[in-house]
Order: sequence, then structure tokens, then C-alpha cells
Amino acid sequence: MAKIVILGAGVAGHTAASFAAKWLGNEHEVIVVSPNSKWNWIPSNIWVGVGEMSKEEVTFDLAPVYAKTKANFKQAKALSINPEGSESNNSPFVTVEYTGQGKEGTTEDVAYDYLINATGPKLNFGATPGLGEGTNLGEHTVSVCTADHAIHASHELDKCIEKMKAGERQKFLIGTGHGMCTCQGAAFEYIFNIEHKLQERGVRDMADMTWISNESFLGDFGMGGLHFKMGGFVTSSKVFAESLYAERGMDWIIGAHVNKVESGMVTYETLDGAIDTQDFDFAMLIPPFAGVGMKAYSKDGSDITDTVFAPNGMMKVDADYSKATYADWEPSDWPKTLQSPAYKNIFAAGIAFAPPHPISKPMKSPNGTPITPTPPRTGMPSAMMGKAVISSIRDMINGAPEPTHTSCMAEMGAACVASAGKGMLSGTAAAMTVFPIVPDFKKYPGTGRDINGTTGEIGLAAHWVKHLLHHAFIWKAKLKPGWTLIPE
Amino acid sequence: MIREIITYPAQTGVEYAPDVRVFDDELYSFIDDLKETAEANSLDGLAGAQVGSYYNVVVVKQGDEFLELINPRVLKKKGTIRSNESSSYFPNVSVDLDRYESISLVYEDRNGESHSLKAEGDFSILLQRKIDYLFGANFLTKLKDDEKEKFEALLASSGVSCPTTPRSFSRDYFVKVGNFIMIAMILLVGVALFISDEATLSDMWSYQLYFSYAVLSINILYLFYSYYENKKYSICTNCFNMSIYGVVAISLVRLTLLMIVSYFLIG
Repeated sequence: MAKIVILGAGVAGHTAASFAAKWLGNEHEVIVVSPNSKWNWIPSNIWVGVGEMSKEEVTFDLAPVYAKTKANFKQAKALSINPEGSESNNSPFVTVEYTGQGKEGTTEDVAYDYLINATGPKLNFGATPGLGEGTNLGEHTVSVCTADHAIHASHELDKCIEKMKAGERQKFLIGTGHGMCTCQGAAFEYIFNIEHKLQERGVRDMADMTWISNESFLGDFGMGGLHFKMGGFVTSSKVFAESLYAERGMDWIIGAHVNKVESGMVTYETLDGAIDTQDFDFAMLIPPFAGVGMKAYSKDGSDITDTVFAPNGMMKVDADYSKATYADWEPSDWPKTLQSPAYKNIFAAGIAFAPPHPISKPMKSPNGTPITPTPPRTGMPSAMMGKAVISSIRDMINGAPEPTHTSCMAEMGAACVASAGKGMLSGTAAAMTVFPIVPDFKKYPGTGRDINGTTGEIGLAAHWVKHLLHHAFIWKAKLKPGWTLIPE
Repeated sequence: MIREIITYPAQTGVEYAPDVRVFDDELYSFIDDLKETAEANSLDGLAGAQVGSYYNVVVVKQGDEFLELINPRVLKKKGTIRSNESSSYFPNVSVDLDRYESISLVYEDRNGESHSLKAEGDFSILLQRKIDYLFGANFLTKLKDDEKEKFEALLASSGVSCPTTPRSFSRDYFVKVGNFIMIAMILLVGVALFISDEATLSDMWSYQLYFSYAVLSINILYLFYSYYENKKYSICTNCFNMSIYGVVAISLVRLTLLMIVSYFLIG
């Protein structure tokens, strides 16, 4: 009997856990370790952040779902990995510290035969002074990264709306809180939802709205920009984004590294080396992501964290990390099997794996400050990685010598829906697909992407798509009847 | 080598110009060609996309020399001014449009060194116009709908035309006809509330079914015609097409809801 331990129960981890329980649960032991008791459909946090949805609508308890399967759920956070075991224990194990189930604070060594690291990111608010401390959100800004953050954001938004109704102008600042952030898409969706909300509440004319981002042009999205094929019309994401902002009277600051957040003001450095400030009454700034900070130890107890993890704390996998310059980057640098090169029974999926390099052009200010979006790893690719990894592990348990499945961001597409409101009959949203995520200039000369696989639609229908995805993926995550028929 | 400058309504074939990654002789040769082409055509600037290249390169006249900008980005903008402009992409016409009064750029030179630049007035406008081409934009993408219509009329009078506003498309007539039929269906449902005779209601249900078939057929025709129209105007890189799938989806959902209500009230 093999023991499969999955660290994390987000999109990648929960997908891997669900298929592990289905395929292997009868004969093997599946253990899921997550510090959170609830699963969160993160894309809908945007709607929680504008008061259109409750926390209960975007989350559910994990324990009852795993109780239905043969998976053993431990509400705990992973502290370290001993891939070779220890002097007193020959089996590899991961040390976890409970955060719930009545065992808070106690640690346990969980042995494994196969380990999937799907811990997701550490929300590194502490990287920007004033944005927060460590993983904790600070007092000056809001966030939509978790459902609780989004509820807080919604309350703060309501306060601003009340002030505007009382005749007090409010300044909104939405975007990224550091030069090395990803997830511009979430902030992009949030600013349009806020704008829509302010229109609905009749106070839009009292609001000054500004986008701030580390992108070197609007519409970079951490992917070096893209084009959309909309019917017979092809447009670039820059033209698309600029027209959306201009139509809605929103200003933008780009190429910006926010280096300090204070009450009502951010200080930022731009790609030309200038330092400037921007006032705000309401700011939602996405923090940079890092690995969760797990350590790794060899059998004799020496620290091998640098062998297993990249400097940013994310796990090294079968990527080529040697390409230092932009000119040398190739799609083949991106990992395929997501297997650790050091330990063949360890895999990483979703945000937990270390990308070989950004997708967008790396840029620095004259002061040497890197201001470059890091690669986005959204729900769809994360789920596909989770499924590929557990498929390989299933086959390796059954005798395959090497991983049998791949999930490579240079070979897969992604879909994204950016809503502007939640209504079924009003508002417009953008539904986009991009293929491949990492451009391949040899295969697709020109933009590096398939002109037919990279599309965009603007209209009310995208709201319906977002509603459909919300319900379909929560249904799937709850492992309700037919869940396997819903694609990743 | 002097290259051919693409003119409207032909497409540049460049959706947008990805960043230059390799700085080599091929790039240097292309930049030299771009300068030579601009000089030969007495132009004050030229973007790679205007000669159908994916190179993210612009050359602009600064004094007697051409300034080479590789991977340029308009980082900051200030003020708005109304500018009367012409471009080699739209020969023999000019247009008034809004531009930023001053801009701040970052770009690279042919050695890959980063620079920043502040530009004002005519130089700022020239840079904005050229960088637009690198991101697949031109006058037509910058103009507001009403201005765009006037500019289209101007283009048509000079021998070229291309629909750039949603209402220019004939496909919209299908949507209108479909909407009229559904209004008739709603009226029929309203009338049915005051009728109790079974035979009349049965006839009305039949009409409602025929109407629904008509709406379905119109949606199918709309889809096919939209594809035809997209191909017909594929020469126009800036034609704005409505979301055809979205339009059909909305129409079919409305029809379904209407038929459900009709079934319970008439059927």
C-alpha cells in the first residue's frame, strides 16, 4: 500500500486529492494536509469584495467532502520535508503543525511514498513596508486574496460609498503592491467591479479611480501581452485595456513598484527611476507571492532547502533554471512532469512550483529595482497540473518507472473571465482564452500564440459564463454526482 | 533596403509586436532599412509594423538624425491636446484626435541599453502615433465612435471603406427581426391571459411555436451571416464585431424563458 500525501487543498491540491481518492483510495492511503478548513473558489472573491456574494457562497468545509472519500484530512500546515527520512526514521516524511481539529499547535511527522506540494503561495504582504507584516494584511489597504480579506474589502468599500453619498470625494487605487507581483487579472477584474458598483449606487461621479501596476504596458497581464481574436477583429490587450479604462474614466500608473504604503498614500518607483506618491482613500493592492517557507532536511538533519526549493521558496521541478537572459528563454524551459529533479517521488503543482523565469520582458529601473510581473498561474492550469501529477503517481504506483503525464504552461491554454458586475441582465464582462500561456515563437511565428486559440469576447454572456463556472467548479470541488465530467 | 509601406485598407498583419529579445545583425539591418524607408518617403517616423514586421522598433526623426527606439513603452502621460495628424498608413487624409500633451518613455537602444525620454508637443505626438502601430493600433482605434464614422466617410470618399462601428454591420438586421418576433410573442402571451376558449388557445400555441421556430432560424442565419461578414471585412483590422456568440446566447435564453411562460399560459 502506498501513502500519497498532498500538501494544500486549493485548486491544484484539491484536484489531485479528489482524483487520488477516486483512483487510489481503496488500496492506498491518501492524506491531504491543509491549514485551511475551507475550500475557496477564489475567482468569486472579487464578487465578495464588492458585497455581491457572501463568504458562504464561495467556500465550503473540506472535512465532510474528504469524509465521503477515502482521503484522510489533516488541518495542518507543512513545516518541513525530510525526503530521505531521518536518522531514526528511514521513510521520507513531512512535518506538519495542526491548525485545527482540536490539535492546534501540535506537530506530527507524516510519512509518504509520494508527495505533492500544492501549498499555493505565501501572500507576502511583508515585502512592501506598510502593506502588511509577513503574511498578514496591513491596516492601510484591503485585499481580495482570501474570502475573509474580500469581506473586509467589501465593508471598507461600503464606508467609502457612504462618504461619497454624503458629498465627500473618494480616491480609489487598485492594482499591485510590489514590483514583482502576479495576478494583475484579479486586480483588473476588481477595479471594474468597483466601478460598476459605484455606478449602480449612483456615486461614480464622486470617485477618482486609478490603476497602479508593475506591468510595463496596460494589458501585459504577466504574459507579455496578448492579442484577442473577437469575431473577425484582432486587437492587442493593450488597446483593449486602454479603451476599457478610458471609456470608464479611470487613470493608470504603470511600470510601478510600490515601495511604501502609509495611511492614505503609497510611494512608488517607476521604470524611469522616478519616485512618486499617490493618495488614496481606498486601496486594494495585490501582494507579491512567495513559497510558503517550508524547509527541507537530509537524513543526517542538514539543511537541503536550497536543493529542494528555489530562493523564492517555491519548489524546483523539471524546469530549466539556468537561462539567465531574456534572449535565451525558450518554451522548453518550462516544466512538464512537475517532478522534483532531486527526489523522484516529490511533485509540485499550481503556484507551488518555481517557474524558470517570467513570461513578460524582465525590466529594471535605473536604480536597479526589478519591476516585472511574475508568471500567472490561474485556476485552470493549476487544476490541470494537479490532475497530471496524480495521474503520473497513479501510474508510478502501478509500475511506471517515470511520470507518465505532463502539464506544461508552454503547451496549454488558459481561460479567464473578467466580470464588471454580477448581474444576469446588465453589465459587460470579458471572457478570454490564451494558447499557449507561454508564447512559442518557433511554433507560432509573430506573437508566439495561436491566433485561433487566443480569443476574447466582450458582452453580457461573459457574466453568465462566470456564474456558470462558479457553480460548476464548486459542484465539482464538492465531488457531487458527475464531478469528473466537469473539465479542469 | 527600402521596404514597402503598407497602406489602408490592407492589414499590417501585425496583431502587436512582441518584445525584441535578440539584438543581432538581423535587427540592426532591419533598423537601417526602416530609417532608409522613412528617408526615401520623407517621413518623420516609421514603426516596424508599418512595413509588416513584428520587430518592436520605431525610428523617429530628431533633428537631422533618426532616434532608434526598441521595445518602447509610454510610461507616463500628462495633459490632452487636440492634434491634426496624417499617417503614411492612411495616405491623403488627415484626422483630428486627442493625444497626450507630454509623455515619458522607456526604451532600449540597439545595444540593449535601457533609456528614458521625456517628450512634449509635436515630438510627443509623433512618438505616440508610431508606438500605437506596435500595439496594433492606428487612427481608427483611437477615435470615438462618432469621429470614426466621419473618418470612415472621408476614407470612403478617397476610395476605400470599411465598417468600423457595430451599426455598420448588416447582421444587426437579423437581431432586430428576431427581437420584433419576440415582442409579438410577448404580446400573444398577454392576450392569452384574457382568453379562455380552448380552441383559440390551441391556435395561439401553434402560432407561438411557429414564432419560436422563426427566431431559432434567424439565430442560425445570424451566425452564418456573421461569419460571412467577418470574412468579408477581414481586410479591416479595426472592424469592431459584436460578440456573435453572446448575441445568440442572449436571444436563445430569452426565447427559452418566453416559451416556458407560454407553455404554462397558452400550451
